Amino acid sequence: MTAIEFLQIDFPAMLAAGLAGVICGLLGNLLVLRRQSLMGDAIAHAVLPGIVISFLLTGALGATTVLLGATVSAIVAVVLIEGVRRFGVVEPGASMGVVFTLMFAIGIVLVSVFGADNVHLEPEHILFGQLENIVWLDASGWSDVLSVERLLTLPSEVLLLGGVLVMTVGFITVLSKELKVTSFDPSFASAAGLPVMVIHFALMIMVAIATISAFTSVGSILVIGLLVCPAATARLLTDRYQWQMRLSALFGLLASLGGYTLGSLVPLYLQLDFSLSASGMIAVFAGLMVVVAALVSLRRRNQVIYEFNPDQAGQ
Amino acid sequence: MLLTGVQAPVWAQSSADSAPLTVVVTTGMVADVARGVGGDLVSVTSLMNAGVDPHLYKLTRRDLSRLMSADLVLYSGLKLEGKMDAVIARLKKQNRPVVALAESISSDRLLTSGDYAGQYDPHIWMDVSRWRETIPAVSQALGRLLPEQADTFAANAERYADELQTLHQSAQQSLNSISVNNRVLVTAHDAFGYFGDAYDIEVIGVQGVSTESEAGLKRIETLVGLLVERQIPTVFVESSVSRRNVDALIAGAAAQGHDVSIGGSLFSDATGPADTWEATYRGMIEHNVNTIATALGGNPLADSLNPANNSSASNGLVMEVN
Repeated sequence: MTAIEFLQIDFPAMLAAGLAGVICGLLGNLLVLRRQSLMGDAIAHAVLPGIVISFLLTGALGATTVLLGATVSAIVAVVLIEGVRRFGVVEPGASMGVVFTLMFAIGIVLVSVFGADNVHLEPEHILFGQLENIVWLDASGWSDVLSVERLLTLPSEVLLLGGVLVMTVGFITVLSKELKVTSFDPSFASAAGLPVMVIHFALMIMVAIATISAFTSVGSILVIGLLVCPAATARLLTDRYQWQMRLSALFGLLASLGGYTLGSLVPLYLQLDFSLSASGMIAVFAGLMVVVAALVSLRRRNQVIYEFNPDQAGQ
Repeated sequence: MLLTGVQAPVWAQSSADSAPLTVVVTTGMVADVARGVGGDLVSVTSLMNAGVDPHLYKLTRRDLSRLMSADLVLYSGLKLEGKMDAVIARLKKQNRPVVALAESISSDRLLTSGDYAGQYDPHIWMDVSRWRETIPAVSQALGRLLPEQADTFAANAERYADELQTLHQSAQQSLNSISVNNRVLVTAHDAFGYFGDAYDIEVIGVQGVSTESEAGLKRIETLVGLLVERQIPTVFVESSVSRRNVDALIAGAAAQGHDVSIGGSLFSDATGPADTWEATYRGMIEHNVNTIATALGGNPLADSLNPANNSSASNGLVMEVN
């Protein structure tokens, strides 16, 4: 493999995966702490009716209409999930399960009612990207990596994820204290006069935007895995919020780069006749990190772990 | 890893280079055209091999290396390679030589698919006369890369086009021998639209044009009713599509006391196994025509284009029928 090939194929894919890893690592924390780890999976399914309706309204599957429909659908989903949880008095997992299966089913019914069978309306086709699509053909040498002007020619997926990362870090920094208190002790936060609901919805909308952007760039399995595994790994290794955040972002990055290297670069280096799916390998790598962390944390068993629930981390 | 000290290579191959042009293609059908026109002057690599479904195929890291280092990329087009669109679009944006064979067929010769306008049925190779129309585009693309060999490519193209013309006519002859009542082809998915159009056979696919759409119960039920009502005796499976739905049809018809048999396995979206004659486009079409004609009570092809088949072998086929 030549330097130029690395720059054109592997560099942009690793950059996209790494950005998605850090974004999901950061937001995944707050989901794991709120026992809503599977929010990524829920959103991945709940976007279907929004996509179908925006297709029926506009008659086309442009990138903007798809993203808009998906985002509106995701916001409806997070509101419904919270509603079912509160008024149905069920645990968050059950509430997510009810809402996303219902919305996905509505989407499928819409597709068959409006006879759009022959149009590819599955999220798999129009919303979910894949790492192998992200190639930077404009790259001509290492100097490109240092030039802002040249970096702007990176694939749109990478630029989108870069923007979302800035947004995510900004959101978490500005609302740092509020997010922390409402995650660990909502009733205290409420008593202290914090708008718990507003903060919760703001977080969920942020999660919806971030996951949908990540879906379009790197695919669903990767995002769902990266929202859960790095945060769960960090949760096994620390009880301190700040460290939880830092470790989770770091593990997200590590899983992305490690998984990509194992799936794509190592087979090439060994001159094997195949490569593995990069997204699949990243998700596997992230899962293995949880296993290793669980073994390491056995030593910490005598400490009481309040928030972590192994049932959820395994999902 | 292994990057330091390696200088950027020149991507564009100089036309004076004596090494064969690297042509990367998506399916075996496209590979056959590339080999037919390019001859010894090209080295053709196909990303998808036997039994691979192009509607669902996803690129791997290895495919990317091949695509990026290719002198010419040829693909079928009309969204057949649905999951590769993004990368193909990016290659085109760089003005790299990327050609969709379907682009050389005028839109009035294309069949629409589904209810929405602007979406065409991508399975154009099923009609040999339409597939033949894609040859000039390949010859021109190769000629532009190696101008001094343009005449060779043009001559190869003519010879290959003649072969396909012969194939088209003998396919017509063979399929015309099927009695009018028997001219119904029931297959796993809607890949045979152009085949039916060109050779005057009614085509019914269980799944839609893309293999990704699921056949609903209602569709199976309708088709079972059709099989029973019209007493259609034979259905076909495809090498690159699950036979689950076709089996459901047979079971459904059997429940209504109508016996349906499988007429054979057809090559629809992928060519046959490597190192067989069916691995080529011509071999695949011959296989399909022979299978369909025989199963529906017609005569198989009188002759084969297979260079390994001497005339005695093809005589054997004819004699068997006579």
